[in-house]
Amino acid sequence: MDLSPILNQIITGLYRASIYWLIASGLTLIFGVLRVVNFAQATLLVLGGYMAFTFYAITGNFWISIPLSAISVGLIGLLSERLLLKPIYKVEATYQLLMTFAIALIINDLAKLTWGKLPVLVPLPDILKISVEIFGRSLILYVILIIVTGLAVYIAMALLINNTMWGLRVRATWRRPEIAESLRINTSTIYSSVFFLGCAISGMGGALMVAFSPVAPGLGDFLIVSAFIVTVIAGMGNLLGAYIASIIIGVSESLFTLYLPEIDLLLIYLIMAISLLLRPQGIFGER
Amino acid sequence: MTNEGRRSALKLIGAGIVGLAIGAAGGLTLAPEKVREITVTQTGPGGATVTVTETKTIREAPAARLPKDTIKIGLLLPKTGVWAPYAKYGEEAAIMAVEEINDTGGILGAKVQLIVRDELADVVKQARELVEAEKVDFITGVISSGNAMRLGPIMPELNRLFILAGAATHRATEELVYKQGIKHIFRLNVPVYYEGILTAWIAKDLPVKRWAGINPDYEYGRVSWDLFKTYLKKLRPDVEFVAEQWFPSPGTTDFSKYLSAVDAAGAEGLFTTAWADEAAGLHRQAAELGYYKKFKAAINPMGYTAPVFYALGRGYPQLVNGMWVGARYIWFYPPTSINKRFVDAYVKRWGRVPAYNSEYAYTSIYVIKAAIEKAGSLDLDALIEALEGMVIMSPVGVRWIRPEDHQAVHESIIGRTSDEVINIGGEIRMLTDIKAVPPLFYYRSPPDWKVPMIDR
Repeated sequence: MDLSPILNQIITGLYRASIYWLIASGLTLIFGVLRVVNFAQATLLVLGGYMAFTFYAITGNFWISIPLSAISVGLIGLLSERLLLKPIYKVEATYQLLMTFAIALIINDLAKLTWGKLPVLVPLPDILKISVEIFGRSLILYVILIIVTGLAVYIAMALLINNTMWGLRVRATWRRPEIAESLRINTSTIYSSVFFLGCAISGMGGALMVAFSPVAPGLGDFLIVSAFIVTVIAGMGNLLGAYIASIIIGVSESLFTLYLPEIDLLLIYLIMAISLLLRPQGIFGER
Repeated sequence: MTNEGRRSALKLIGAGIVGLAIGAAGGLTLAPEKVREITVTQTGPGGATVTVTETKTIREAPAARLPKDTIKIGLLLPKTGVWAPYAKYGEEAAIMAVEEINDTGGILGAKVQLIVRDELADVVKQARELVEAEKVDFITGVISSGNAMRLGPIMPELNRLFILAGAATHRATEELVYKQGIKHIFRLNVPVYYEGILTAWIAKDLPVKRWAGINPDYEYGRVSWDLFKTYLKKLRPDVEFVAEQWFPSPGTTDFSKYLSAVDAAGAEGLFTTAWADEAAGLHRQAAELGYYKKFKAAINPMGYTAPVFYALGRGYPQLVNGMWVGARYIWFYPPTSINKRFVDAYVKRWGRVPAYNSEYAYTSIYVIKAAIEKAGSLDLDALIEALEGMVIMSPVGVRWIRPEDHQAVHESIIGRTSDEVINIGGEIRMLTDIKAVPPLFYYRSPPDWKVPMIDR
């Protein structure tokens, strides 16, 4: 049996999974530390794409537009955390969810005002169009770049959280914010820096994505559903779990497209339902 | 029928169409009334008689006075969401038609007023408001097939004519008009016969045996793909359909998994009814991922609408056996003076070439004008009688409104992307190998909905 179509489909799935992961990672990090379900996470990824479009128009350089978009989306995230979320940390979590929903709507409409209703795109750099032979199929470098970036983001986040002083403070805040505060950890700064990081990763994801698939108003609403499902399956707030769950969703979506295209759309909900029935706390969740 | 026989049949049909065109040219045309030179004798100062040549617009005296001095037309289009930029092409052309008519004396002396509403904000509610609050006399537009099927059945209750211009489901005319007898609906555009049947004639002659489909997952995509499969199999029994993929629409921006799946199935040819931004996205990604080097040919019936060719510019891909793309109306065809006048006016006014839906919106206003002038009143039965069987010259060419199902029959073209790139308000990759297929080859017709040149 020729396995190359399946392997090719798996790679396509890994590409898709990496995009989900670049949303889900921010979602997981922010939920883990702040206990805020950030409904605006996918909208920030889309905003990253729009930012990259503008930075590309100014600089003419795809590679420079990526860090610029990441930083600017991170700053927008930071600003909305400081101004809109911080005042309501003490009230019920529902209000914070509603606030992030409002942020998503505001960003969505501001994007429409700024960049219009038409989808925007950055041309794919020629170097990323070069194709390489893998398993007898040709694959362009861009797809490999996205998959590698996804993995690199996971490794970098794991190292940052497990091996640095800042990471130690984050973990302390993650576990018990009251005790962390009694140990003179400024949890407010931790919250803001985590929010910045989570948003910047999604901003970078958007800047990478926009070279292949365009961003348009409302795209975030479409992507956030998959990203939520990923974090729910993973167990809210578990980074390794979220990475693995992204891969499970992305690859199985892709394989089902090949073998059972008719239930392709149903699939992610099916996986979620089954995993919630078997392990309500998520595959990697604690408790 | 032998090939020879078919060719002579083609000639006959061609002659018939030319005949219709000549007949129509003498009757109704969609140009504003002619500006004619006349000589006026005036009495100058001091009693001298001066002969002055003046240019004046000559109008015939209205044959009948209408009971009102403003005719209101309600235009329903997507004003929000991803289809809004697409629909803009229609609105622009409708505005142009209304201005032209008002500048040349209106309809039987009455001014025309256009009221545009968002068909995505509950089309039934919008139509009711147009009729009850705005007191419109006609409803036109509607791009979504789903909306056309929702609005159609309530037209008798609203007691207005619905000049459908855009939505492509064959059910609007085959079921609502013909089977259910809702005489209030008239459709100006070719339905999915274009997407599914005309394309089968193209596919039949390509060196491709293994076809795959990547289509939007709703009525339009499913019906088109079914028709394509059915009719291609009839025209060429040795083809295989190796994969069918459905993408959520609107909303899909990443087509990679569908492309790799049809490639895995060993497809040689790709059929897609993706349209607007989704068509542009699909073609760009298929080219970037290298699939358009593997596939021999691709067919995208609505791939040559203005938003798509402007979005792709010179990057519109070419395939070894052709990237076959079209639209129900393409601005450069036919090379008639009426079409040239329409395109020139549109480019001058809006800075870009018209899309197919521009032609429909524009013609719909003129069809309303023609109906009123022929009927001499706003009486519904008289208007229906005036429109049934009407032949109209329009930018797309001759339109004959088939009396049985109120479907306008007109010619449409398809071609493959060429090396030539021009610039009118943006880069446009031109087409070559233009196939102008007479309607008899792909229109299904009542009473049994067979295609005369295929299902015999």
